[in-house]
Amino acid sequence: MILVPASEYAYLLPEIIVALLGVLLIVADLIWPAYDEATGRSKTWPAYLAIVGLIAAAVAVVPLASVSKTLFNGIIQIDPLAAFFKLLFLGIGVLVILMSVNAVPKFTRWTAEFYALMVWTILGSMLLASAAELFTIFLSLQLTSLPLIVLVGYAKRDPRSGEAALKYLLLVLVSTSVLLYGMSLIYGALGTSTLSEIGAALAREKTINPIVAMGLVLLLTGFAFKITAAPFHYWVPDAYEGAPTPVTAFMSVGSKFAGFALALRVIVAAEAVPLNWHLIFGVIAAISMTLGNLGAIRQKNIKRMLAYSGIAQAGYLLVGVAAFSSWGIASLLFYTLAYGAANLAAFAVVIIVANAIKSEQIADYAGLSKRNPLLALALTIGLLSLAGFPLMAGFMAKFYVFLSAAQAGLIWLVAIGVINSVISAYYYLRVAFVMYVSEGPAEPMKIDPQAALALCVAIAGVLFLGIIPQAAMVAAARAAASLFGG
Amino acid sequence: MTNLPVLAIIVLAPVVGALLIMAFGRGQIAPKAIALVAGTVSLTTSLWVFAVYDRAAAGYQFVTSVPWIPSIGVSFTLGVDGISAPMLVLTSLILFTGVLVSWNVTERPREYFALLLLLVTGVFGVFAAVDAFLLFFSYEMAVLPMYLLIAIWGSTRKDYSAMKLTLFLFAGSAMLILVLVLTYWAVGANTFDMRIWASHSFGAVFQKWVFLLTLIGFGTLIPIFPLHTWSPDGHVAAPTAVSMLHAGVLLKIGAYGLIRLGLVMFPLGWADWRMALALIGVINVVYGAFCAMSQTDLKYVIGYSSVSHMGYVILGLAMGDRFALTGAVFQMFAHGIMTGLFFALIGFIYEQTHTRVIADITGLMRRTPLVAACFVIAGASSMGLPSTAGFVAELLVYVGLVIQSPWLAAAAFIGVVVTAAYVLRMLSRILLGEPSAAVAPIHDAPPLRFVPMAILAGTIMLVGILPASLYTIITGSVMPIVTKLAGG
Repeated sequence: MILVPASEYAYLLPEIIVALLGVLLIVADLIWPAYDEATGRSKTWPAYLAIVGLIAAAVAVVPLASVSKTLFNGIIQIDPLAAFFKLLFLGIGVLVILMSVNAVPKFTRWTAEFYALMVWTILGSMLLASAAELFTIFLSLQLTSLPLIVLVGYAKRDPRSGEAALKYLLLVLVSTSVLLYGMSLIYGALGTSTLSEIGAALAREKTINPIVAMGLVLLLTGFAFKITAAPFHYWVPDAYEGAPTPVTAFMSVGSKFAGFALALRVIVAAEAVPLNWHLIFGVIAAISMTLGNLGAIRQKNIKRMLAYSGIAQAGYLLVGVAAFSSWGIASLLFYTLAYGAANLAAFAVVIIVANAIKSEQIADYAGLSKRNPLLALALTIGLLSLAGFPLMAGFMAKFYVFLSAAQAGLIWLVAIGVINSVISAYYYLRVAFVMYVSEGPAEPMKIDPQAALALCVAIAGVLFLGIIPQAAMVAAARAAASLFGG
Repeated sequence: MTNLPVLAIIVLAPVVGALLIMAFGRGQIAPKAIALVAGTVSLTTSLWVFAVYDRAAAGYQFVTSVPWIPSIGVSFTLGVDGISAPMLVLTSLILFTGVLVSWNVTERPREYFALLLLLVTGVFGVFAAVDAFLLFFSYEMAVLPMYLLIAIWGSTRKDYSAMKLTLFLFAGSAMLILVLVLTYWAVGANTFDMRIWASHSFGAVFQKWVFLLTLIGFGTLIPIFPLHTWSPDGHVAAPTAVSMLHAGVLLKIGAYGLIRLGLVMFPLGWADWRMALALIGVINVVYGAFCAMSQTDLKYVIGYSSVSHMGYVILGLAMGDRFALTGAVFQMFAHGIMTGLFFALIGFIYEQTHTRVIADITGLMRRTPLVAACFVIAGASSMGLPSTAGFVAELLVYVGLVIQSPWLAAAAFIGVVVTAAYVLRMLSRILLGEPSAAVAPIHDAPPLRFVPMAILAGTIMLVGILPASLYTIITGSVMPIVTKLAGG
């Protein structure tokens, strides 16, 4: 038995805070129930407790941002990359919970448990960012997925929510089996489960061991499900549409980025395998962008449209992976920030509008610019950022990704990417057109203040990253360099 | 004196104006007043730049530079040379007159003027950029306000036209992203500074294909045949001031970008494609003129005449000698002022008569003599009659064309004849005769509406009679490009 020095636990302080936060939410709810049986109303303290806890965890991550250390005999890796993703997940968590303070009681009375599950799925994502060993990866992945299945089906009275949960459950089962099978092949062939040793073993081999290659392909297939890359994306629109909107908002960014956090370390370990990774990821990226954008064009439900747009955006993120360099990874990390801010802004508006008019149909956004000009402006900014118009984060992010792809010589991929931007402009602008030009009801729309605050933060992020991206690019470049041992 | 960041003032005055309008622009008057002030600041500053610009020196002047995104080598560097200085004057003239022309926009004036100023910021940014990324960023920034301005305040199939315009421009800019990333790595100096790019010599194959991408990307905007179809639709659907900006300024970004990123960077690529470009130019001139001939809507006539007139710019770029290239830039200026005037006039007529169909409008001369006089001046410039700006521009292009390729000159000359035909036909229909039912009740332009028309008409005459100042400033900066294109 190998002893672990107790001091190593200190590096997991953020994760420990988040884990305890989940427990605290449930215990506190038992003592002071958030749901008042007498009035039938829910108190909002669980949401604020969760937000405070997540912010505390984020504060605990900050000192770790410049540390590079391997813990517990190589199963946990602390480095700037892990810190980057952890802050990203915590930030997403805070924004999602803030925008759902008033939305969650609309579909459930068990709000504290809702936030506890949300907190645990964030915990799983944080651990994934640090996981450097196959079984740890598997356990962390399960920790992100299992609470999400429950969350997707949380709106019990809505049959679409149950259907989505069942679909998501099946997806998780399939992707996990594929992933596990791949892991078992790799472990069987190489006799080790830590990524660093796998990388070293692969570097020693001159030829491709077919078992290892098979294992890697299965592993990457498992990731592709998670990051909603084509051709493993068919579950996405149904799950996104059926899930309660706050859960969709989290899945569309948090769960997707968790897949990337994990894939990056495995890909670096597998770099020595003489396969054309540029081409493999380039093709997946190209298919994802194209299918996602073509699918989004004919959607009438805004959540479904954002689901397809998310598939396309996963394609752009994969362009950064396809570039397979520290520039490429840096651009991918910057893209996660830009996409995260813009997509959360869009979902905040969807939540606000759904709260006010009980609709998710794009047609019902008609006249929004008259009902609430700032809300319409915010959604326009969010969507235009996703489309890649300048002054907004998406423009910088896309340009950065294309720049790194061109560095790797993937000109064809840049060409497909820019053509896809044109296609995507069509359906994003169509929503703006509906809001600004189509005639609709004119009575003012009531805004839920917490969601509006989250929206302001997200929009500020979009504009900040779009106008002064330097600081974020430096942070992304540093995190990316740590992945390559720099 | 040049320590003052004058270019930053020109570029940022509209942004500040837009922000002020969003913050304080309540009611009907405030947005217009703020926009007018911002326009005045930009206009006086750019006229000052034009006046004190050192015509004897080569290269960029008034350069100001601030690091922006050092990670990828982007800097906020502004500067003007003899090509961009006239473009700045053109843009601020069109902005100033455009604000005056839009004085009676009553629907959501706040958003309208804020977007108008944002659009112009993008255009100024393009003309003042020394950094290729900044140029591209500014250009893209101009596209979106264009979409909203047409989609919200436009007329005649506005949703279709606005979306078509945006997708065409976006497709063009997609090509430009490729150009930028490829050139960035080919230079390999972690910079987007066009001065450094221009001093790098690229491989012949690289130049050939990247020039083609630049040509398609900026060509969509010029617009070159057959990528021009978005342009007339956009002109027609847009509100008056936006039509003025669109035809007067936005199309020039295409030609300007093609000079800056195409001709200057990739002279060998230019040599590969110049005959194709010349052919496209002739098609633009002749085909555009014939299309204009067959239109019944006044705005469509001017829309297609833009396609025709921009053909001379394309021809000038394709010839690439001293006269033709100077003529091309001269034409960019002349055409900008002329179409600006045309759209201001047509906008006024449309407001009064609620029609733009040529057959319904006769006898303007009787009812609105001032407007009619401006129509004649614009028409004369369009036909290239002496003492107008259009004459100088077309003459220069034809001089270059005849020296290099008499056959092309002969082919393009068909366009001159057809242009004379459609302009005279249009003018005689709408100006002469007894006032029609639509025209009978209207009155001549009030002073506020006549001022912008007079400014633009005056500029056409001034530049036509005294072309030397504009000619020397352009030629000074065109000569180094000509030398480079000639292989020197």
